[in-house]
Amino acid sequence: MIRILTGLLIGATLFAAPLAAQTGPLRIEITEGVIEPLPFAVPGFVPDTPGAADTARQLSQVIAADLTGTGLFREIPSSAFISQVTDFAAPVQYADWKAINAQALITGAVNVSDGKLTVRFRVYDVFSGAELGTGLQFAGSTDGWRRMAHKVADEVYSRITGEGGYFDSRVVFVSETGPKDDRHKRLAIMDYDGANVQYLTDSSSIVLAPRFSPTGDRVLYTSYESGFPRIYVLDVGKVQRRLLEQTEGTMSFAPRFAPDGRTVLFSLEQGGNTDLYSLDIGSGAQTRLTNAPSIETAPSFSPDGRQIVFESDRSGSPQLYVMPATGGEAQRISFGQGRYGTPVWSPRGDLVAFTKQSKGRFHIGVMRLDGSEERLLTASFLDEGPTWAPNGRVIMFARETQGAGGRASLYSVDITGRNLKQVRTPDGASDPSWSPLQK
Amino acid sequence: MQTGTKISAGAHAALIAVAVFGGAFRSEPLPFEVHEVSMISAEDYAALTAPREPAGTAPQPQEPAVPEPVAETPPDPAPTPETTPVQPEPIVAPQEPEVPDEPAPAIAPEPPAIRPVERVAPDPVEAPPEEARPDVVAQPDVTLDQGADTPQEQQQARAPEEAVDRIVTEADETATLAPLQSRRPPKVRPDRPEPAVIPAAQPDPTPAPETANAVNAALAEALAGGDPVPDAPTGPPLSAVEKDALRVAVSQCWNVGSLSSDALKTTVVVAVSMTPDGKPIADSIRMLSSSGGSDGSARDAFGAARRAIIRCGAKGFDLPAEKYGQWRDIEMTFNPERMRIK
Repeated sequence: MIRILTGLLIGATLFAAPLAAQTGPLRIEITEGVIEPLPFAVPGFVPDTPGAADTARQLSQVIAADLTGTGLFREIPSSAFISQVTDFAAPVQYADWKAINAQALITGAVNVSDGKLTVRFRVYDVFSGAELGTGLQFAGSTDGWRRMAHKVADEVYSRITGEGGYFDSRVVFVSETGPKDDRHKRLAIMDYDGANVQYLTDSSSIVLAPRFSPTGDRVLYTSYESGFPRIYVLDVGKVQRRLLEQTEGTMSFAPRFAPDGRTVLFSLEQGGNTDLYSLDIGSGAQTRLTNAPSIETAPSFSPDGRQIVFESDRSGSPQLYVMPATGGEAQRISFGQGRYGTPVWSPRGDLVAFTKQSKGRFHIGVMRLDGSEERLLTASFLDEGPTWAPNGRVIMFARETQGAGGRASLYSVDITGRNLKQVRTPDGASDPSWSPLQK
Repeated sequence: MQTGTKISAGAHAALIAVAVFGGAFRSEPLPFEVHEVSMISAEDYAALTAPREPAGTAPQPQEPAVPEPVAETPPDPAPTPETTPVQPEPIVAPQEPEVPDEPAPAIAPEPPAIRPVERVAPDPVEAPPEEARPDVVAQPDVTLDQGADTPQEQQQARAPEEAVDRIVTEADETATLAPLQSRRPPKVRPDRPEPAVIPAAQPDPTPAPETANAVNAALAEALAGGDPVPDAPTGPPLSAVEKDALRVAVSQCWNVGSLSSDALKTTVVVAVSMTPDGKPIADSIRMLSSSGGSDGSARDAFGAARRAIIRCGAKGFDLPAEKYGQWRDIEMTFNPERMRIK
């Protein structure tokens, strides 16, 4: 009986296989692709008014620079264009853009009148022959043309990649001048791309570790103005600061806002021991979160505000730990060789960026919250202080070169490790903190 | 007349009367009763076995009726044969049948009844070899072939048993020996009588177009043997090399660099129809299904897949034209699992 059933089964299989192969469409599976910048074209935006020509050209350039700077896009030079866009409302000649392999086309028009700037734009998927989304218009003052360009670029980026953009954001950092043995530091703020640098403090005292608030309107930082490290909060719009925490005989540093903006985590050194504390900004009440003889510092909230990742040497060397935001038992998440520090929770909530020192080199890396899938994105003499872009896809950090004449600079890198590039600043720069997207 | 003769005649008369009229007085069978068995004398036995009175006349068995004594009249004497000696007729030898001189009639005589073969073969069948074993299905004898690429398992020849599930003896066979049909079929079919020609009132020289089309379509379908599966591809299937070439061609244009992290977790199945020269029909590209991501991620992943098909198919994929029926419609699954982190 078994032989009969086996024979029938084999017969049915042999008989059915050719039938199955001959029915339905041809099926193939593609598992290997390419990773290369997506070519796009940005013809100069059409000036609706005679005085808008320069602004229209500058807008196009900033938009192209934003997209190209991500490493995900490649601009097709205008010299390769077959047709030009002289009328924003004219139908798109897809064949002309296909011929130069432009996969995305961005057209726009600019109107300047009475100090008011209006920008209209459309994004096209050339090979689909259809528009991506619908046309959009921004309006503002002519002084804010760069922000308007960043907003257009954010919208284009989002429509093509499906992720949120990060171009209309700012970075607060420590501007450094002078040699290493006489370094002058002051707080500065700039656009994400290094433009529009403004200084928030003078260089009379050492400032460290500025951190944006969740709304981007305030900055926490540590200053040695009093001779000891103290935490200050600064109103970015008004450039006004106030001392946030002052406990006699202690040192406070490494502050970080909670997602709700009403609580601040920081490290407090008292009697040679450093622990984590939380501070209610409104009432000034402090809560001790850790109580260990080791050093606990560099806390960072999870996006939902329920957990904290921080650095501790309770195991003998600096490692990363996660614990509830109200304190409690901490779980170690870093187990690789080397020393881990300055953890920062991703805005997406899925990764933790950190600084790692191993075998005489520093790295910026990311790992999952359970310590898995650790990836080191950079390696140099000194890389430290990572901060996340608002969309959680890019990390900015400080890199300092070796030697007495070593200089600190800001760099950014994609979480895949690609597109490592320097962010231009007038002077040396360290301790970056990325703001959320501006409203 | 002898007394014994009288008694015998009377007894025979009574016996004949019982034989003739006994059935009319037959009683219903008595209910089954159990009686003790006891030894009886021969006279009692004779009395018991004597003819009984019809049932119902008397509940008690009566003594067998004693026939009335018959008068001493001699019975009619039986005719006495004559004693003339009769000479026996001489035995005549049978004559030989006359052979007709004239030829056989045109109508052949009825063939002899078809008899089945002898159930018992004249010669005994050789006994099967002892190693042969009956099986449900017939299997050939397979011996090991050392030089074969795919050696088969050695097996013995087997055949189903030549037996039925019941035994039919000759006595049980029904005689179906008569022919079931005539053995003299007509050689030539008789001509059908010509039907009377009825002239049409208004003959239509050409059929209606719809009718003509329907007839033509039916003829074409009949000649083509029908098309049970209209969508089934035709022509020889693509070889693995040809499929790989198509896969590589599409892969070269599948750019996932600008996809979001969520889109890189989304697998999409895309359908596309092709022109005979190997170019994708842009309007036919559609997403059949997606898995692993949100609708937005699926939309972005589909966009990348669509660009890949259109870009690399702009000049036509290198596909065998004679197998167009096989690749006229293609379903491509774009799985970015291996492209997430590199």
